[in-house]
Order: sequence, then structure tokens, then C-alpha cells
Amino acid sequence: MILPKSGAGEAETPLRPVRVWDLPTRLVHWLIAALIPFSWWSATNDHLSWHRLSGYVMLGLLGFRLIWGVIGSSTARFSDFVAGPPTVIAYLRGRSGARRIGHNPLGGWSVIALLTALALQIGLGLFAVDEDAIEAGPLSKFVSFDTGRAITHWHHQIFWVLVALITVHLVAILVYALRRKNLIGPMITGVARLSPSLTAPALASRTRLIIAAAVAAGLTWFVAHGLSFKP
Amino acid sequence: MRKTILNSIIAISLGLSASAALASGLSGVDAAKDRQVHFKEMGKAMKTIFDQLKSGAPDQSVIKVQTALIADHAKALPSWFPADSGPSTGVKMQALPVVWTDKAKFAAKAHDLQIAAANLNAVAQAGKTADFMPALKATGDACKSCHETFRQKDPD
Repeated sequence: MILPKSGAGEAETPLRPVRVWDLPTRLVHWLIAALIPFSWWSATNDHLSWHRLSGYVMLGLLGFRLIWGVIGSSTARFSDFVAGPPTVIAYLRGRSGARRIGHNPLGGWSVIALLTALALQIGLGLFAVDEDAIEAGPLSKFVSFDTGRAITHWHHQIFWVLVALITVHLVAILVYALRRKNLIGPMITGVARLSPSLTAPALASRTRLIIAAAVAAGLTWFVAHGLSFKP
Repeated sequence: MRKTILNSIIAISLGLSASAALASGLSGVDAAKDRQVHFKEMGKAMKTIFDQLKSGAPDQSVIKVQTALIADHAKALPSWFPADSGPSTGVKMQALPVVWTDKAKFAAKAHDLQIAAANLNAVAQAGKTADFMPALKATGDACKSCHETFRQKDPD
């Protein structure tokens, strides 16, 4: 990763590599980034078995990310990056005070918006029913045919909300790139070169990782089998 | 005099078209709406069967009612598409114009469904559980196969 040697106001400060994003956070990010287009493709081309599988994997990833947002590494935690409107406005006006590691106040809300839309999309998909009721989500047995069809309609609509949010996300990355801040590199390698004055994030232990992954996997299994632990 | 003849011709042709509508029993609009109700009934029946299967303890008597409905509806299905019940009715529909332009292919697809659905119902009524899943799959495939050509996909 190449950062400009002379960033604004930091010309003389020697930078040091810092692990900004832990591996689980990056893995979740890139798997979701790959599975959203895959889900769209598989649904559009009538590969509903793959579509369901992709949805289950994303349900697990989302579940993990939500747990990780509470017990994970500091930059993954919601408490670290969800800020109130005054902080966001101050950031937008360039008066955010000290620079910090992790999501900025605006980016934090982008994460919340993306995760919410994804949760909604996955949640609706669980109840969706196709026109011949042959393809259906694992929780469709809890709703009527008509309700399942209506949910399917919303499942189609929310996809475009997701596309809009992803577009905003990509445009933001581009804007930062034009302002000579590389956001993609650290999301791949986990490492950014930052000022030594910034406190490095606290990385979560392997035990926490195992707990979060196990809970997410168990929950996904339970939901994918129609709220049952029986296969 | 000419006017009288013209009027009679108009009257007769109106009468003819009215009786043509009566022969099918329904106006095109009503036929289109009824058709959609019937297809939804078939969808509901399929869902009820799948829900029963997923429950782990399927109720055979419930399934038998659904397979009978699907078989009966399949039998009647070709009559749900009279010539005047297409998109020109203005009824919001996903039935594509090709239903009325490629009648031979549509009839063949409907026939496939009739055979699959009749078999499914026979299997269900006879309680041949081992044959049920393949028969259900064949019926579902018949639904899908026809929808691919003759039904507009759900809009994104």
C-alpha cells in the first residue's frame, strides 16, 4: 500500500504500519461483497438452490458481524464507530478534532445502513415464496402463500436499495482515493500506515472469534432448517 | 332503407359477438381475473403440500385435497385463456401474448401439466409414498417449464 509521503498537515510525521482491520472483519466484508452479486446472479438465472445457500452463508456472516460488533476488535465494534449527529456534522465540516483509527463518523453510519439493508434483505428472503411455491425460504412455512408472494416482491425491491447503498459506498471510496487516501488496501491487508500518535486498535482474542463464529453458525443452522435443530 | 339494413347488420353482429362471449361464459376481463385466482389457488395448494412435507409429520388427508385441486385445475387450465382475455383486457397480468400466438406450444405445455398432475393425484390418493416426491417434482417442473415461456418473470 502506498500512502502519500506528504499528507496534508502530516508532512513531517513518520508513519508506522498499524493493523486497522482484523482478519474476521475483512473476511466478512469480502465474502459479502462477493456473495451479493452471486445471489443476484443465481436468482436471475433460476439457480435457487445456490441462491438459498448464498443467503445462508450471508446470514451466518451477518450474524457473526453483529456479534463481532459487540465483542470483536475495537475497530469492529459499534460502540467505536456509531456517533451521534453532532459528531457527524463536525466531521463533515472538517472540525472533527483528532484523527482516529477505524471508521470515521460518516463511514460508521454507512456501515449501519449497509448492514441494516442486508439484514432486511436476508430476513425477507427467509420468508419468500416463488409463484409455484416450489422455491421458498426456510421460514416460508410460517406465512401464507399471498404473504410469501408479497414478501418476495419486497425482497426484489430491497435489492435495489442495497445496490444504491453499495453505490454510495463505492463512490465514497473513490472520493477518498481522489483525496489520496487509500481505503481498499487496508481492507485487503488489514494494515494502514498511520501517525504514531494514534492508539493502535485492540485486537480481539481467538477465543472470542471462536465463540462468535460458533454462535453465528448455530443460529444460521437453526434458521436454515426452519427454526429447528433437526437436519 | 340502407340505414335499416346497416343497423340490422350491426345489431346482428353485436348479437353474435355477445353470444360468443356468452359461449365462453365470461368476458375477457373476468376470464383473466378468474384465471389469476385459479393460478393462485394452485400455488397455495403447492405451498400447502410443501409445508406439510416440511412439518416432518405430513397429513395425508390434507395433501390429497391439494393434489386433487391441482389435477382438477390442470384439467381446466386451457379453458382459462379465451382469445379475448389477453393483455388487451387491460388487466394487470404476467401471462405473455405468446400464450395466444403460439397456441400449439401452450397446449402442449398444458397437456404436460395435466399428465403430471393427474399422476401426482393418483399417487397421493393411492398412498404410494415412495412415488410421491418424484411425482411432485414432475408437477413442479411442468409449472416451471410453462412459466419460462408463457409467464413474465416477476419484475425486479
